[in-house]
Amino acid sequence: MILTTVLGFILIILGIWGMLTQKNLFKMVIGFSILDSGIHLVIVSLGYIKDKTAPIIDSDILANNASSQVVDPIPSALVLTAIVIGLAVTALMLTYIIQLVNTHNFDSKNMKDPLSITSYEELKW
Amino acid sequence: MVNPLYMFILFLAFGFLFAILDKMGRKVTLTLFYGVLLANFIIPLYWIWGIFSGTTSGTEISTAGFMAPISINLRFGFEEIIIVLLVNFLGLLSAIYLSDKFKKSSINGMILFMVLLMSIDGLVMTRDIFNIFVFLEILSIATYSLIAIEKNRDSLSAGFKYMLAGGIASAFILIGIIFLYRFTGTLNLDDMIGKSHLLVGKAGFLSLYLFLFAILLELKPFPANGWALDVYQAVNEGLVAIIAVASSAAIFFVLYKFLPLVPSEYYGYLGGVGLVTFFFSNLIGLKQKNPNRLLGYSSIAQMGLLLATLSILKSFGSNDLIIFQIVGGLFINHFLAKAALFWLVGIVKKNDISAWTNLRTNPSLLIFLGVFILALSGLPPFPGFWAKWDFVMILASKGSYFSIIGILLASLFEITYLFRWLGFAMKKTDSTEKIDLPISKEFPIAISAIALLVFSVVTTYFFKEFSFIQILPLVGLVLMYLFGYLPVKVKGFVAIVIISTYAIKLYSLVSGLELFFAAILVVGSLVQIIATMYRSGKREGFYPFLVMMIIAIGNLVIAKTYLSFFFQWELMTIASYFLIMKGKEVTSAGLKYIIFSMGAAYFIMTGFAFAPVIPAINLSLINTIGMKHIGILSLSLLSIGFLIKIGSLGFHVWVPDTYNKADDDTTSYLSSIVSKAGIFGFFLLAVAIVKNASLDTELLLTIIGWIGVMTAIIASIMAAFQENVKKLIAYSSIGQLGYIILALSAFNHIGWLAALNLTLNHMLFKLMIFLAIAGVIMRTKTTNMYEMGGLIKKMPWSYISVLMGIIGLSGVPPLAGFGTKWMLYNALIERGWYLQAGAALFASGIAFLYLFRLIYTVFLGQAKPEHKDIKAAPLWLLIPQYIAIAVVMLISMKPILLLKPLSEMISVYIPTNLGWVGDKLITVNGYWNGSQVMNVTMIIFGIPFLWMLFITRKVQKVKQFNIVFAAERPDRPETTHFAHNMYAHYNKAMGFLVTPKLAIKFWDRVSEWISSSGATLRNFYSGNGQTYLLQIILYFIILYSIMGGK
Repeated sequence: MILTTVLGFILIILGIWGMLTQKNLFKMVIGFSILDSGIHLVIVSLGYIKDKTAPIIDSDILANNASSQVVDPIPSALVLTAIVIGLAVTALMLTYIIQLVNTHNFDSKNMKDPLSITSYEELKW
Repeated sequence: MVNPLYMFILFLAFGFLFAILDKMGRKVTLTLFYGVLLANFIIPLYWIWGIFSGTTSGTEISTAGFMAPISINLRFGFEEIIIVLLVNFLGLLSAIYLSDKFKKSSINGMILFMVLLMSIDGLVMTRDIFNIFVFLEILSIATYSLIAIEKNRDSLSAGFKYMLAGGIASAFILIGIIFLYRFTGTLNLDDMIGKSHLLVGKAGFLSLYLFLFAILLELKPFPANGWALDVYQAVNEGLVAIIAVASSAAIFFVLYKFLPLVPSEYYGYLGGVGLVTFFFSNLIGLKQKNPNRLLGYSSIAQMGLLLATLSILKSFGSNDLIIFQIVGGLFINHFLAKAALFWLVGIVKKNDISAWTNLRTNPSLLIFLGVFILALSGLPPFPGFWAKWDFVMILASKGSYFSIIGILLASLFEITYLFRWLGFAMKKTDSTEKIDLPISKEFPIAISAIALLVFSVVTTYFFKEFSFIQILPLVGLVLMYLFGYLPVKVKGFVAIVIISTYAIKLYSLVSGLELFFAAILVVGSLVQIIATMYRSGKREGFYPFLVMMIIAIGNLVIAKTYLSFFFQWELMTIASYFLIMKGKEVTSAGLKYIIFSMGAAYFIMTGFAFAPVIPAINLSLINTIGMKHIGILSLSLLSIGFLIKIGSLGFHVWVPDTYNKADDDTTSYLSSIVSKAGIFGFFLLAVAIVKNASLDTELLLTIIGWIGVMTAIIASIMAAFQENVKKLIAYSSIGQLGYIILALSAFNHIGWLAALNLTLNHMLFKLMIFLAIAGVIMRTKTTNMYEMGGLIKKMPWSYISVLMGIIGLSGVPPLAGFGTKWMLYNALIERGWYLQAGAALFASGIAFLYLFRLIYTVFLGQAKPEHKDIKAAPLWLLIPQYIAIAVVMLISMKPILLLKPLSEMISVYIPTNLGWVGDKLITVNGYWNGSQVMNVTMIIFGIPFLWMLFITRKVQKVKQFNIVFAAERPDRPETTHFAHNMYAHYNKAMGFLVTPKLAIKFWDRVSEWISSSGATLRNFYSGNGQTYLLQIILYFIILYSIMGGK
């Protein structure tokens, strides 16, 4: 499972790299998505215990010795929440992009790329 | 007690229901919306009441039928209740402020607003770290969505940058949480604190660091905070008030909850992060003109200060009560003032602080702006003042020099930009543009101001246990405001009654030196109130601050502790600032005054901070300050503070402008009374030194002595070259104060006697001259001396007053000035300071030049034709002058009446070596008989005078220009009255001493350098969201390598 953790971190770094290097707003959001997925992978991998099963108590796994048979359920619970939140944030980011492009002035002669982060630098100092 | 979970239930339930309920009409949803907000304000209020009445001490709520640490638990203890109360209070006010938006825009605004408040409350209450993440994300999503409701380009692009930064922060916090869980096996904060020994090594630190960094990032540390500034600038003010204040408060509280988990050796770094943020945000703020962004810088700076105080105090191991007082004071100050300022910005709708003049059409808003700016500047009686004082005291006791310098310097930057703003609003060219102001917008601001004031009074009166007389300046201020609608003459009379009552009370409390200073300061002020009645109209806001200033100055004398001295000192500064701001075109002079005054105040504060605490006995400072040995560092800092206040050489640059631009009667107060407060400070120092003299203090006194001499010389030369009459007297005032500190620093009995005498004389003479000149300026409507002339016939009473004044100041017989100068030289010779004595004599010689110029150009020579119908000065101005003249005549004819008691007062500190034979004063070097000098001079003057009257009884009276001058018949006054550039020839000889204007150049360079470094630094904020992201990542790495590098 150490491999999954490492993979997760690679995704995190890739995601951050994407957010830092891609000028296109959509690509930045994709970078954020990759970052998010990487984090989820790390979370799940940390809760996994080798040769244990899913933390669902039923006829196979009895409540009184469940702790010796199942993986840690908390990271799985956390990752679900994190995925939902990540989804909401990503959706909101995409909405923002649409609204930002709507405010763009397409008539002007030296029009900037409405999808580039560098077109939104009016506020500074 | 109501279960606090109902707050969440109310927010959420109505959030879902609103979508349906809105079908019944917006009125229904609006009513319910405000109902929910009000209910959620009342619930914590009810709990607070429960805590203070002792029926509860808060509660702990578990969820899902389990106990913590299995379940997520929420805590509702004292701290949480206070913050939730404040947050919901602010939420209610902000919602009222935004009511017109909520009326018009879609229902989503209200829903999101409730979700936002719920998440802030949750963030404060939860004790589960993953729950912290969840609430933080709800908070972020609600904020992003609210920002996007207004679909303008600026707020959208700011919001997008905010999302990028927030996304990174949530990534860090998630990784941090999962590793914290991995190492400790729990998500419950209290459980985790118990297991913090498991968080060891690099990995343990890294997991802590990831969480901590995310929280820090949400607190906007410099320089990783460009995104936040954009949000503050672009987003609607009603919402920004919540983001900058309530959300930040909750996140700050999360940090507070998390700190026990962080090993204490890292607290210092967090303090550093806070200090750097406080310092640089204020530095860069100096260049800012946009009020929204200015407040953004100020908010970030304040959060930095909160972070710094919390972590530094924690690192010192201070107890919780102290932390609560200091951090809590700063917190509440920022909380109420900053939110209301954002609302105010939204009402005024001006993109440049210099355009805020339309605020003047609404005086109540202007008063609120003043209240909030005073509060943010850490001035009394607001909570920030007490917090800053306590914090500096603690820093000093731990020897944290750098922190003190950083905090005070940054505070000075903050004061500069805040007061520049206030100055623009008060004084920049008039505007008649009305502000559109629905009651819903003014109401939240007014409530905040009132809450802040109530809180301040409660702190001052109850917690700091200040007596009634100590807060009397503020009572006087309010009392006089109640009389605001009355005409000047009535208000002046009321002020006289108030000050007389105060003077009688004060008289029963003082003795010895205190009595002397109280008499000079309070009685001198009292007499001058008569002069202020020469104005017509209402003169709104003048008398309240005048009364406040006089009482504060009087209270300085009887202050028993450093803190109460400093409290009165700051009240005096505030009051005098607002008096100065009554003048015309006073924007830049007023700003200079407040900056130098606050600089002086900070030197005084640190001076006190490094001094040992005086035992608390029921005596004023001047009696107790000598009890402990005060170190040279503290003495030097105090000296610098007082030197700035009296405008000594090098620090004098604020004086001429301020004296020139203030109203004429205010100038008289500044010169004759306010400057004496600095002299009183020097006496305090002198008393402290005399009990603990050492080699160090010897050196300090020599330096002060030389500063005094040089001030006297240079100021006299500069006075001689002025064309503006008020500036001439201002420089004269600077020079005279130089004599006082010179006499004082000679440190022998007669030196102190001379200093006390000079203090009294200077008060009297400057009162006479300034008030006389006030009359002249009133009649001639100019301050240029070459536009006056020949006024002796039209304004003889003013002439006599000025004549007496200059005779006194120049130190020629027979008036009291002579004896005083004689004592000064005696003191210097006795001390062995021959060189200084020679220099002082030289300065006196130069003083003749400007004094002669004053009387010659104004009163003598040829009258200008346009002044032919001029009237004498108003009686109101003349009365105080002639009271002063009467006193001068008395102490000149019978100096022994004054000198003997003064000598007795001094002999408590320095044994006397003077002898008295009848009216004769005998010193080591000679003797002086004041009464005899008077008699002889009067005879020498009287006989020729009578003879002259006798021989001129039959002369022909000539009209103006009935003369021939160098074979020409002059036809204009200017050709015979040589007034413009009068000392051109002396300027060639001595001008080189003052033309380089070294001091002005120095201070110009300093301010230039500071503001350009601010301008350079703000290039960090390029406006590019990706750059901001990179800054965050770099900040993460750099901070990690600093903190975790070991």
